[in-house]
Amino acid sequence: MNELKTSLCVENKKLNTLVIQEPFTLQEKLHILGAAAKYDVACTSSGVDRRNDGTGMGNAYAAGICHSFSADGRCISLLKILFTNECIYDCKYCANRSSNDVVRTSFTPDEVCTLVMEFYRRNYIEGLFLSSGILKSPDFTMELIYITLHKLRHILNFQGYIHVKTIPGTNGELINRIGFLADRMSVNLELPTAESLKKLAPNKSRKKILEPMRLVQQNRIANKHELALNNRAPAFVPAGQSTQMIIGATPETDYQIMSVAETLYNKFDLKRVFYSAFIPVNEDLALPAVKQGGPPLLREHRLYQADWLLRFYHFQTKELLDEKNPNFNVFLDPKCNWALKHLEYFPVEVNKADYKTLLRVPGIGVRSAQRIVAARRLGILDFQDLKKMGVVLKRALYFLTCKGKMMYATKIEEDYILRNLLQIKESLPDSVTGMAYQQLSLFDVQSNGDKKVS
Amino acid sequence: MRSIYVCHDTIQGIFSALYDAWVYNRHADVGIEFVGKVERQLFCQYIDVVENEKKVLAVERLIQKNLGENTYHDIYYALLADDAKKAEAVFQTMQAARALRNSRKIMEHLSNDSVTKVFELSRRVGNEAHLFQGFVRFRELQGGVLFSEIAPKSQVLTCIADYFYNRYPMENWMIHDKTHGMSLVHPKQKPWFLLTHDQADLQQMGSLIQVEDDYEDLWKTFFQSISIQERENYCCQRTHLPLRYRKEMVEFHERKVDRKNIGS
Ligand code: SF4
Repeated sequence: MNELKTSLCVENKKLNTLVIQEPFTLQEKLHILGAAAKYDVACTSSGVDRRNDGTGMGNAYAAGICHSFSADGRCISLLKILFTNECIYDCKYCANRSSNDVVRTSFTPDEVCTLVMEFYRRNYIEGLFLSSGILKSPDFTMELIYITLHKLRHILNFQGYIHVKTIPGTNGELINRIGFLADRMSVNLELPTAESLKKLAPNKSRKKILEPMRLVQQNRIANKHELALNNRAPAFVPAGQSTQMIIGATPETDYQIMSVAETLYNKFDLKRVFYSAFIPVNEDLALPAVKQGGPPLLREHRLYQADWLLRFYHFQTKELLDEKNPNFNVFLDPKCNWALKHLEYFPVEVNKADYKTLLRVPGIGVRSAQRIVAARRLGILDFQDLKKMGVVLKRALYFLTCKGKMMYATKIEEDYILRNLLQIKESLPDSVTGMAYQQLSLFDVQSNGDKKVS
Repeated sequence: MRSIYVCHDTIQGIFSALYDAWVYNRHADVGIEFVGKVERQLFCQYIDVVENEKKVLAVERLIQKNLGENTYHDIYYALLADDAKKAEAVFQTMQAARALRNSRKIMEHLSNDSVTKVFELSRRVGNEAHLFQGFVRFRELQGGVLFSEIAPKSQVLTCIADYFYNRYPMENWMIHDKTHGMSLVHPKQKPWFLLTHDQADLQQMGSLIQVEDDYEDLWKTFFQSISIQERENYCCQRTHLPLRYRKEMVEFHERKVDRKNIGS
């Protein structure tokens, strides 16, 4: 009898651990769903200015505000979480794919609201970044997100920043409702080409990703017209859309990637395209093996530099790269790279060249180009003046004349300049140079990374 | 004999000193030093400044009218900096402006050392104030009052007051500057005000601050879960968020109880 009892007891215990999953505390959910959201990089709080109307909580600043910096050196601005890490899809690169055995949980709308309001009150955050896996269906999940946002905006009177990720396949009417509550919406492009997408994210398609992007773009245009007539009308996604692509998981060239980004800026009016160096969290035959040296951070950096050239320096992708030279030289920033291939344009005369030409000179940035244009109205500039205006002369000297003279007698030859430019130590941002740490930590990825929760 | 005006290192103190110096000595080379930091020298005449609101308003108007709003902003910010020579630099800047045909352009004259100094101090204070917009941490005290302590180098409280005033109009909140012994106080739905020389009874506050705040623990959990290990980079973190700010930021405090591996 006694024996029976014990064995029953053991059985019971087994059952308990196997079947009855203890409900998670808020603390545990936050740990799981915060860690699950960390690979999303598009999390600035920028793009919209909004003052508090005096009756609620929060406001927004177009330049964005950093509240803290995590151990990887990235700015923490928003409470970046997944609503749920349940998912019916099976994207190969994602820790939450349906075929992975990980601990799954979901917030309730009330829990998200409480976290946002209480974190915001304590000035931990600028607002919310809400992404999600797919629970039951895209519409079902997005409806829960709508309920959350509606409560934040209309019941709790939250006036801080909200960024929502749209799940591809969500119905247009629902996207429309959410767009009036969010400041920014984004759909992840995930991978640069439709083929790669098919291979790594079999449940998604390029078409389904572009659909909501187009819809939000059109609604924003309509909303702008409405706001022009009535400035008290509610704003639709006032901070615009962004997206992100994973770099290095699939074989696309920089040329392909930048061409896609350019199309998104020009045809979809995106505010930002983010590039995210691939970090393997799953072992999968379809994915590249873990590389020595960690994620391709330097390549990611070059893409951001090129992105900058498209948005602020009036460059086009086809000027920077082509079929024959489809990848950036990782040793040289894309602008220097371009200048070396186009020495026929140089040197330019600082006192005459127009603004756009100045922008193309290595060592001259947007600010210094503006200063040059303003200052030369008052007098003729020489190299000393340029230095004061923030021009990096050691880079620019090969490409400039002042009053018809170059700074030093130098050859204008590609190899010669290249050799000299490579000798100048480029000041890469810390985010790229922390390589040593990455190599060390690579080996505990499996034990400490996402698997921690499993 | 060189005159040296001695005042408190506050806006009221320095503006009063500027007033006296301007009225009686505007063509001379004068010194402005701060109570408690004066190093007496021979052949100098030390004058204790009588500080009052009337002088403050007069100097404010003088600068705004003759040097313009933007210059006033730079001067005001520069005077909040942690710098022994800031008031003299401002006085010399005012003197230099008199010599210009258009005094409002004074801040463009960066070949003048005093002007450069005012410009740089103003930028330094502005940058620090901007950081505190993000780095201030409130704790909830009994009765729902939000309380924050900061230890800034510059006297940034009035620079960030409007920012937080607009952000939390419906909250009772208070930010205490430990370095300078001042507090910014905002009663719900009322304008903010500044308490100097520790008029605020912080002893009493002190006991309230010990209250547990559950959200601090939640915030720490989030803070740790959000970092990507493969990209870990403490140098980069330190550049953006220097160590000196971390003492008052709860996410950098040790946890009281070590949490077991959550969720496993
Ligand atoms: S849809 Fe794909 S990327 Fe998104 S959570 Fe599910 S598996 Fe991950």
